[in-house]
Amino acid sequence: MEIAVCVTLVPDTASVIGFRDGALDTSRISEVLNPYDEYALEEALLMRERQGDATVRVFSVAPASKKPLLQKALAMGADRLVIVEGPESCDPWQTASILREAFRAVYGEAVPELVLCGRESTDFRSGEVPGMLATLLGVPSLSGVTKLEAAPDGTLRLEREIEGGLERFEARLPILLSAEKGLNTPRKTSMKGVMEARKKPVEVLSARDVPEPRVSLESLRPAERHKECRMAGDVRELVRLLRKGEVL
Amino acid sequence: MGRHLVFLEQREGRLKDASLDLLSRVREMAGLRGEGPIAAVLAGPVDEGMLPAAAGTLYHAADPSLGLYGREPYAALVEEAVRREGAAEVYFAEGALSADLAPLLSVRLRAALLGGCGGPDGCLRPVYSGAALAGFRPDAEIRIHSVASSAGRQERGGGEPMRVVELPVSAGADPGPVLRELVMRVGLADVGEARVVVAGGRGVGGAEGFRLLEELASLLGGAVGASRAAVDLGWRPHAEQVGQTGRSVSADLYIACGVSGAVQHLAGIARAGTVVAINTDPHAPIFAVADYGFVADLHTALPAFIEAVRELRK
Repeated sequence: MEIAVCVTLVPDTASVIGFRDGALDTSRISEVLNPYDEYALEEALLMRERQGDATVRVFSVAPASKKPLLQKALAMGADRLVIVEGPESCDPWQTASILREAFRAVYGEAVPELVLCGRESTDFRSGEVPGMLATLLGVPSLSGVTKLEAAPDGTLRLEREIEGGLERFEARLPILLSAEKGLNTPRKTSMKGVMEARKKPVEVLSARDVPEPRVSLESLRPAERHKECRMAGDVRELVRLLRKGEVL
Repeated sequence: MGRHLVFLEQREGRLKDASLDLLSRVREMAGLRGEGPIAAVLAGPVDEGMLPAAAGTLYHAADPSLGLYGREPYAALVEEAVRREGAAEVYFAEGALSADLAPLLSVRLRAALLGGCGGPDGCLRPVYSGAALAGFRPDAEIRIHSVASSAGRQERGGGEPMRVVELPVSAGADPGPVLRELVMRVGLADVGEARVVVAGGRGVGGAEGFRLLEELASLLGGAVGASRAAVDLGWRPHAEQVGQTGRSVSADLYIACGVSGAVQHLAGIARAGTVVAINTDPHAPIFAVADYGFVADLHTALPAFIEAVRELRK
């Protein structure tokens, strides 16, 4: 069984997102695997453990220089890593197209039985790459999965949270799923895992025939959220202020 | 033929408020630009009298088989409506359904997808854990907008219901995942859609402490929210988490109790209306983004606050 996991690197939540001369100041940003992608990878590893005979291949559109950071996926237990060098872009359509081409380079016309992605990346948060990639691959997809069970007959039972409730699905392979927080608890990397990761195969491809972007970044500015906070001395004053502000 | 097409979402026969709000916003925008009337598309049967009042065409596939969401049949329906209407701008209210359908349709329609936008007119989205605001520019003949709800109730408009064009169900080849069961929570409203959200963080002290928040939320007809810390500690379910790895709220009133206000939490309340913060730490970052603040222990402040609200309601 072939399992593909798509990952990306994002600024660590502890990083300071600052601006200098109107542009993002990248000097104080350290990058990590996107947290949602870790849920996706963990689910792939669990699936491999159940299946026995499965290969987990991790794909990332990134410069080859990011290999040491991406090797964390190998240290967690993935079998192989494919890095696809492409233009720096925040257009999900371009990213999905590049991934589609990389899948073709690796798998030919076959499609992996299971493709897992994170629900969204925490940097640009579009959450669009998984659904676009599924459509390009011609496989069904479901976004934001919080529970996955594989029945012995190969049927997948899936759950996801929706506004005000949850949905339970039945699905078959091949399928692309995007992982939501709650799906599992990603394993920690061990020293042994880190050592082994260094010996695992890493392939570097370069993206060709990248389509024109359909969406481009027009502006990026610091979020201005500061408000003038009116402080209340006691509950009575708080209620009075809220009534005056027509909030209560 | 209208330029603008809004996808209306129903669950269990009821149109979602977020869809109706979006319809109003798009109608208002189109009116101001002189680009009305607008069109809408709806999958599945809805209860009597639920159809919105607005000038324009409603493409409706009322077949009961579409009552529950299905990726392929829903997508095929929207494609058909886009084709018939010749629409150039397609709108979804951001949610679980748009997360599935919008990317799929953007590939099939060769459309530019503007996701998580603040409004139907232009696309601004909080990025980098809410530390920055990004503007996006589309470059394609058709544009799909997935619009986040925001504070402020929309005028629904009145008058005649939309002109209905019945669409048949088109049987897709592979329906994809089949929805077997839809379980709607009963009781408190959904944190992403509620008009009032009472949220708690580490300062609540434990799962028990959230009873007070539930009481206030229920009194105000709202929902309970939780910070990542409170969810990670197992005090509340992930469905209630507000912030970057959780939900975005669009409440008119957000009451943060014992929430320090980490950047990733603030990302989830960027589109809230009035923010009230109750915290023991006067230097908590939440006060910098609050309209009203009260430095106090919520365990003593909330019961008194609840009592005062009860008095007002009498």
